[in-house]
Formats: sequence, structure tokens, C-alpha cells
Amino acid sequence: MSERVTRREAMGVALLTLAAGPVRVRVGPDGTVTAYTAKVELGQGALTELTMAVAEELRVPVSRVRLVMGDTGQCPDDGGTWASLTTPEAVPLLRQAAAEQRGGAVTPARQWRVMGTAVKDLRGQAVVTGGQPYPSGLRMEGMLYGHVLRAPHYRARLVKAGAAPEGVRLLRDGEICGVVSSDPVAAKRAAGSVACEWEAIPFSVAPSDREALKSSFKATAVAPVENMSARYPPLLRRGRLDDAREHERQASSYFLPFITHVPLEPRAALAVWRGESVEIRSGCQAPFAVRAEVARALGIAEGNVRIQALGPGGAFGCKQRGEVETEAARLARLAGAPVLVQWSREEEFTCAYHRPAALVEIESTVSEGRLTGWLHKNFNAGAPGLMTPYDTPNISCEFHRTAVPVRQGSYRSLAAVANTFARESHVDEWAARLKADPLEFRMRNLADERLKAVLERLRGVRGGLACTIEKQARIGLRAEVEVKGVAVRVKRLVYVGDYGAIVNPLNLRKQIEGALVQGLGGALFEEVLFAGTEQKSRWMSGYRVPRFSDTPEIVVELIDRRAIASAGAGEAAIILVAPAIANAVFAASGRRLRDLPLAR
Amino acid sequence: MALLTLTVNGEPRSADVKPGTTLLEFLHDYLAMTGTKCGCEEGTCGACTVHLEGRAIRSCMVTAESCAGKPVTTIEGLAAGNRLHAVQQAFLSFEAFQCGFCTPGMIMEAAALLNDRKPLTDGRVRLYMEGHVCRCGAYNDIVKAVMSAAAELRKDAGNE
Repeated sequence: MSERVTRREAMGVALLTLAAGPVRVRVGPDGTVTAYTAKVELGQGALTELTMAVAEELRVPVSRVRLVMGDTGQCPDDGGTWASLTTPEAVPLLRQAAAEQRGGAVTPARQWRVMGTAVKDLRGQAVVTGGQPYPSGLRMEGMLYGHVLRAPHYRARLVKAGAAPEGVRLLRDGEICGVVSSDPVAAKRAAGSVACEWEAIPFSVAPSDREALKSSFKATAVAPVENMSARYPPLLRRGRLDDAREHERQASSYFLPFITHVPLEPRAALAVWRGESVEIRSGCQAPFAVRAEVARALGIAEGNVRIQALGPGGAFGCKQRGEVETEAARLARLAGAPVLVQWSREEEFTCAYHRPAALVEIESTVSEGRLTGWLHKNFNAGAPGLMTPYDTPNISCEFHRTAVPVRQGSYRSLAAVANTFARESHVDEWAARLKADPLEFRMRNLADERLKAVLERLRGVRGGLACTIEKQARIGLRAEVEVKGVAVRVKRLVYVGDYGAIVNPLNLRKQIEGALVQGLGGALFEEVLFAGTEQKSRWMSGYRVPRFSDTPEIVVELIDRRAIASAGAGEAAIILVAPAIANAVFAASGRRLRDLPLAR
Repeated sequence: MALLTLTVNGEPRSADVKPGTTLLEFLHDYLAMTGTKCGCEEGTCGACTVHLEGRAIRSCMVTAESCAGKPVTTIEGLAAGNRLHAVQQAFLSFEAFQCGFCTPGMIMEAAALLNDRKPLTDGRVRLYMEGHVCRCGAYNDIVKAVMSAAAELRKDAGNE
């Protein structure tokens, strides 16, 4: 009876919400403010930035605002926390809602009092004392610890599962076989000790055989069709490439292998069933997309799934889908009790999706020092970053989908890394061939005044150069390197960024530095390796990520343009690292490196 | 299963554990002291760093049983009441974190490093902290925080 009343109440709330639009900002009788967003704090500063936005418009201190994030049961669907969209999309939505609450218009950037200042991360005290909650620390009364049985092969079918040890239950439905126990260590050890028979599914093409993979990409490529309404249009054209066919020509191709995210916290999800509904707490980046995925996998209505996303220990694009959430929900249903599934480091390496490998081919023409034709084909990686920033009259920039032998998905900036590495290397090759200064050659071929202003700041700075327009930001980087044989050491990075009106200069600098450091890994040494039917990169001891000793001096200069809408900044900086280093290596040694990682 | 009692942050703490349970599992999984983090399970990332008899160790690499009779300090026990340890304060002041998951391990390592209050250089800090991974890439801010905490502690020592 009580449940029926609750459900009716819930429906009433839902109808009200539909009639009035989703609730974003609520002011309590005591003056406390609660704001709601589906965005998730990933360490990128979303919590602090969105809180600042609400505080700004309601003219209250930041400490007065409580932000509820990532809960499909309470928050409007703002899309996933991806593609650097929190700043350009969610901040304006919350400012608008808060300004309406105040009964005024949105505050122009020139009059900001809270936004535009260096507000510190609101989680700081909790983080340094160990009190900040993370998904792997989720606990509840009567909870069981669950683990899914895994094959040693990258893909396999379970033929037969042996018996579980004492104190552990073996659970199986059509699609999943796992163990659960009230004892966390017993469950963990059992997952590795249950004797199973697996039938390996071989790769269609060996993922670590570069030549075979490239051939496969070319053989299976599907040419793009124009779709300018897509977030990342797969085909961008202007002019006619034929018009430039008589000009001086250059063609080169670039390759990036599969790399993986290695978030420091392996993912975890806690699922609790109440009747036909399931509530899941996890560290996912996209609660509404994961809700839809879990509902589909379990054959229940989306309204019967609630996802509450808790800020995870790192994501970088790897926690956008509902793998662990679905596993927790399945095991909890079979067990008849709440279940926490926490992936091991090995599962994080071998069960999650990777950043796509990429083959990029560029063929271009120059006449009188100006780029006149630009044919850019990206195979497999994707369309982000496909558009050239250069003022070239005839272009065709294309993303060709291909068959691929491994699970692949999002990653910080995704294909903009491959597209920018190829483009900025290729432009540098032109400068060298024409005996032009790399900066002057770029200046001559750019029309965008903001990007030219960024390059002006890098004039006279030492090091290999790369620049572009990415996610509305204008960015440039100089990398100074030391080359000894095949070893490359980065000594100094100087970065200049124009992100429009700066929302939080402290957080912006941190995001840029972090993205540059993360970019060092993919540029210099990261690659996921496979052999036979297995993935060989399974542990952090066998997969190098950037450490203290890899991190150079980093100088970040920002151009604050209050009259221009703020650009997102979690991603862009990562895309300039590889080309700036590759261009520096060429300048230092005469070696042109077109395959990543550069120091392999 | 056997009842094991360890001295954690000055208090006796007990749990019924399986043989072979690591100190990390004892703290994080059995005691729900989740400030100490599990990152790699093989001693390569440093997220699980705690103090054993005042020295920084990887809690995923020792059995809980082997720590009997030796004082264990975790991130939850580093501050003196409400007064943060100088390293915690410096991480806060320099905002030397992003997602924050590596932070407890970083702070415990740095606190042990600064115990001897010897002068440090930027390069020595990097060398000592090399076994710690920050995937968000806050390394340069962390070095600045540790250097600042070292200066702070030397100043305190001078005033004693």
C-alpha cells in the first residue's frame, strides 16, 4: 500500500516536472540554494565551476549553494560529461535558471564577481583528509561483493564453470557468470580460482600488427557522406581539389596504435533491487546514457532504473558506458541482495574499451607558400578535430569508418589527437621543404585572428610548434626536447590558450597542465599490445604512463576574452603534445616520425 | 578466517579476515577505512601508501598479519585533530590534485619523506615520489606543494 502511494507521488512529481520543465535551481525558505545537473565531477572541476555559476547569478556566496550531480532520479538530462561541454552548455543553462530565480538577466562576463575568479575546488578538504567518497568505497547493509569470471583471452565463450569455494556463490544466467560473497577477499580470490573452460574467439586481424591493421582499415573503409548537423561532421568540403592539381604536392601517412585510459580508480558499481526497479550508484560519466543501456540489457523500462553517479577517481572518457553497472545489476538480481562489483586493475585493462587506433593519410598542395589543396582521410579514429584551421581554398576532410578487431570508444579528445598529430606534422613538413620558419608558414596560411594572436605569443619561444582551433578554443604549444638516439626527453612545454571568457583561471590552468602531461604518454610510449588471442597489456607494471620524471617544466599563458563565450577546456591541450614533440624531434635530429608512440 | 587486531591510527582495530589478506584489504575492505586507495594491486602506483612504524609502505604488498604489533597510520589519522598536517595543508593551498584518488597516497609518501626535515630539491622530490602515479597529471603542483610543506616544517623546527 505504502509503495503504491509512493509511486503515485512520484508520478505526480514527474508530471509537474514535465509541465514546468526540469527543476534546475531551488531556493529553500532558509535561503539555501540547491541546483541540479546530470554532469559529473571527474576531477575536471565541474562541481566548483557549476556552483560558481549559480552563486554568481543568485548573488550568494559559493558556500550557500549545494549542487546535486549525476542523479537520474533528481537531475535534468544535461547529456553525458564528455566533449568539454560542461562549460559551453551546462554553465549557461544553470546561469539562466539561477538568473530567472533572481528575477533578472544573466550577468555579462565583464560584471562577473564570482565567475572569472580562482575559486578553489570545493572538495579540497575532503580530498586531503581521505574523506572524499569514491565508487570503490561504496558500502551498504547486507551487501555482497561480486566479480565476473573472465577468460584469459580477449574474446571467449564460457564452455563450463567449475564449483565455487566454500562461502562463495556461483551465479549464472545466459550472459554472465560470476561469484558473490559477503566476504570481500573471499569473493576476489574465488574469481581467480574457479576452474573454467573457455573457447577463444580469434581476432579478425592481429591488432598489434601495424601493417595488417592498416591494410584491414583500408579494405573495410566506408566513405563518409556529408552530414553537417552531426556534432562531428564526418565529411568537410570546400572548393574543388582538382583546381589545385598542378601545384607542388606532398603526401604522407600517420599511424596511432590503440592506447588505454588507465583511470587510477578501477570502476565500481553498487546495485540494489527494489521490486522491479534497480538503483545503481557508480562513477559513470553519463548517467542517462548508462540508464538506457542498463534498462536495455536487463529488459526493463528506463523508468525502473535509477543511476546515481558519484565522482570517480579518473575517467578521461573510459566511463561513458554501463559495463560494470550492468554486471552489478545482473548479479544483484541473481543473488537477491545488493551487490558491489569492483573491477580489478586487470579487468580495467582488458574488459574496458580502448582509444581507437588511427591511420591518417594527407595529400596536399602548395602554391607560392600558400596551402591550396588539402585531402585528409582518417581511417577508424573518428571525426573530432577533422577540420583544418588553415585558410585553404580547396579541402576534403574525411572520416572513414572501418572494421576493427577490438573494443574501442571515447578518450580525452578522441580522434582530435590523431587528426591534429597528422595535420600539424604535415604542415611542419611543408615548412621544412619550403625552408620556411614553421611559425611564419602557419601565420601565412591562417585567417583566424585569435589563433594568430596565440601564435604571436609563441614567437621567439624555443621548441617544436603545433597549433589549432579545437572545441572553440585557440591553442598553441612549443615543446623543447633533448634527443639521444631513439630516446626523446621533453624539457619544457610552453602553452598559450584563448578559451574566450575564462570561468576559473586556476582550474583552467590545471586542466591544461593535466592534459599536456597525459598527452606525453600517448606521444612518447603508450601502446596496448596483443598477441595470439590475448591482450598482453594487463597491468600497470607492463603499461607505462607518465610519471614525475617524465613531466617537464610547463608554462601556461592564457588570453582572457570577456566578450567571447567560454570554451570547454578539459580536452583540447592534449592534442598538441604529439605534433609539437614530433616537430621538435625533426628540428633537433632531422628524423621525421610519423607513427606514435615516438620513442618506441 | 581468523580475528586479527592491528593498531591503526593509535586505536586497536579488529576484523575476521581470510589468511593472506593484505593490509590494504584489511583497511579498505574489512574496516571500511576507504581513505587508503586501491589502484594497481602490485605496488606500482602508490595509491595505497600508509605508514608502518612511521615509514611509508605500499599496503597492497604486505599481509595484514605481518603488521601485528606495529603501529599503522593512514590518511585518516595524519591530521592532529582538526589541525591538518603540513603536507595536507600544502596540497590544499597549492590545490595539488584533480580527481583526488592518488592524493592520500601522495600525501602519506611526502609526509614520511619530510620526517627527516633534510633540505630537498625539486629533483629529489621527483625521485622520491616516482613510484606514485597521478593520471590527472598534477605532478608539478604536487612537487610545489611538497617543497612548500618542507619549508614550513623546517620553519616550525627552527621555532621549537
